[in-house]
Amino acid sequence: MKKLYYDPKKCTACKTCEIVCAIGHSPSKDLYTAIVEDNVSLPSVRVYVGQEGNFPLACRHCKDHPCVNACIASALSYDTEKGLLFNKEKCVGCWMCVMACPYGAVRTDKRDNKSVRCDLCADINDPRCAKNCPTKAIVYVEEKK
Amino acid sequence: MKHLLIIGNSAAGISCAENIRKKDKEIKITILSKEDYTAYNRCLISYYLSGDVKEDKLIYRAKDFYKDNAIELLLNKKAIRIDAKKNQVVLEDKTRLDYDVLLVANGASPKFPEIKGIRKKGVLGFRTIADTKEMLDMSLVSPVACILGGGLIGLKAAYGLKKRNLDVKVIVKSPQVLSQILDKESSEMFQRRLIEHGIEILTGSDVQEVIGNGDCKAIKLDSGKVIATSLVVVGKGVTPNTDLIEESGISFDEGIKVDEYMKTNIPTIYAAGDIAQAYDAILEKASVNALWPNAVEQGMIAARNIMGENKKYAGSTGMNSVEFFGLPVISFGMTRPPHPGEDGYEEIVTRDKRNTIYKKIILKNNVIKGAIFVNKIENIGILLKLAKLKVDVSTIKDTLLRSDFNFSVTKDLHYEKEEFYL
Repeated sequence: MKKLYYDPKKCTACKTCEIVCAIGHSPSKDLYTAIVEDNVSLPSVRVYVGQEGNFPLACRHCKDHPCVNACIASALSYDTEKGLLFNKEKCVGCWMCVMACPYGAVRTDKRDNKSVRCDLCADINDPRCAKNCPTKAIVYVEEKK
Repeated sequence: MKHLLIIGNSAAGISCAENIRKKDKEIKITILSKEDYTAYNRCLISYYLSGDVKEDKLIYRAKDFYKDNAIELLLNKKAIRIDAKKNQVVLEDKTRLDYDVLLVANGASPKFPEIKGIRKKGVLGFRTIADTKEMLDMSLVSPVACILGGGLIGLKAAYGLKKRNLDVKVIVKSPQVLSQILDKESSEMFQRRLIEHGIEILTGSDVQEVIGNGDCKAIKLDSGKVIATSLVVVGKGVTPNTDLIEESGISFDEGIKVDEYMKTNIPTIYAAGDIAQAYDAILEKASVNALWPNAVEQGMIAARNIMGENKKYAGSTGMNSVEFFGLPVISFGMTRPPHPGEDGYEEIVTRDKRNTIYKKIILKNNVIKGAIFVNKIENIGILLKLAKLKVDVSTIKDTLLRSDFNFSVTKDLHYEKEEFYL
């Protein structure tokens, strides 16, 4: 399957990825409406600013997916083609996935007690973070072996 | 055709069956359960008790799962003995079931203290849907609930019953709640939070007797104090259900001893989940870490070895994530080092100015041995992974508790090089 890869040297920490992620996962999918929605949508990708470059990070959709093993509410499952699948309705906010994720890639949303996670923009089958990155620091390509 | 018999229909048993079916459609699989339900999310019973989730959300694997995967499910069947010489499991109704390979994954049960009256009606463990339903019934007639034990299970029951508007009193023998999974400072944060929300906590006291004629009417504490209640929840930990293996020749200590392939001393018998005593990857000794994620992993490892893959288990971990009244905590490994400041042990701590956030990491010779994150839990999984891999973190030690700590700080330390940063 395809995966997201990041180039810290190309990343300028402009956070376009965070913005398009949040908008893309908002009910309206429109910037000017999304910012005034009741529960403003949170991005599942985050950019960490570091000395050696800037590091975007979202769920890795790992093959061994310890978060799926840890989920006590059967909200998470894994599909070899689609990656990690999240049934938000089932999530109870137990944060076992936060405990299990070796990348720190799971974000908590305390407003509705649900986790926030990357779905690789399954609705358009093309992650918005990579598609909109102005410096091509994020690419979505076949998994490197 | 080979027959795999699985005793236990929860995390470990299901994970084993599922992982076998991913690759092997031939082997015959039978799952035995003493309960009346298809597999359910056992850890969600506290959410069901509090009313946060409805019963339909408890389903882990519905009937279709067994049908689709050609798994024979036998409900309400209790295994009472394993006849390892004949490769048979004996059920309560005297039926004998043959197997070629056996997975013992029949979990654990609440530990009941040996005190007078403890088996009276109204004294409940908190482990099953049946326990929870009985608790909910009792909550309608008993305005007061007493919880024995201030551990995770006890406090989850306390929380759920408080949400059902009961007057809840927690009787804790030790000076603090959650003493098994937190240190003094963090447990005090939780104690305060619970008290603020109306849960009464009686530390340093123990129950001497459950009073009543058949039904529980009151409990008597060691101080002599008597509390009137018809509902008592026992939250004193769990004990592996080893009754059925006692004469089987399977070796056990605290739980069934398994090797790194989840195999017992008998070559055709595997064990996984809350009954298994496997290697603890952080404490580096055999331990029973009766937790859902460990059970799922162990079931998977057992499955792969039953299929002959020789897959080694990296080990289990003691780890917990819990939230009470909006205060979350995640902790893992060692939370109270045996000799702080000695034997290479070191503690690093941070808190915010208002004392609402608390983070502590325990290291031994620069390897992470445990951590507690209260109220700011994100990124703790990175530390758990470093601990499991026994990575020397001396070069990044000063960054571990910083608010901007993230995976990229650690990326060069992993021996499994992460290739997603180009």
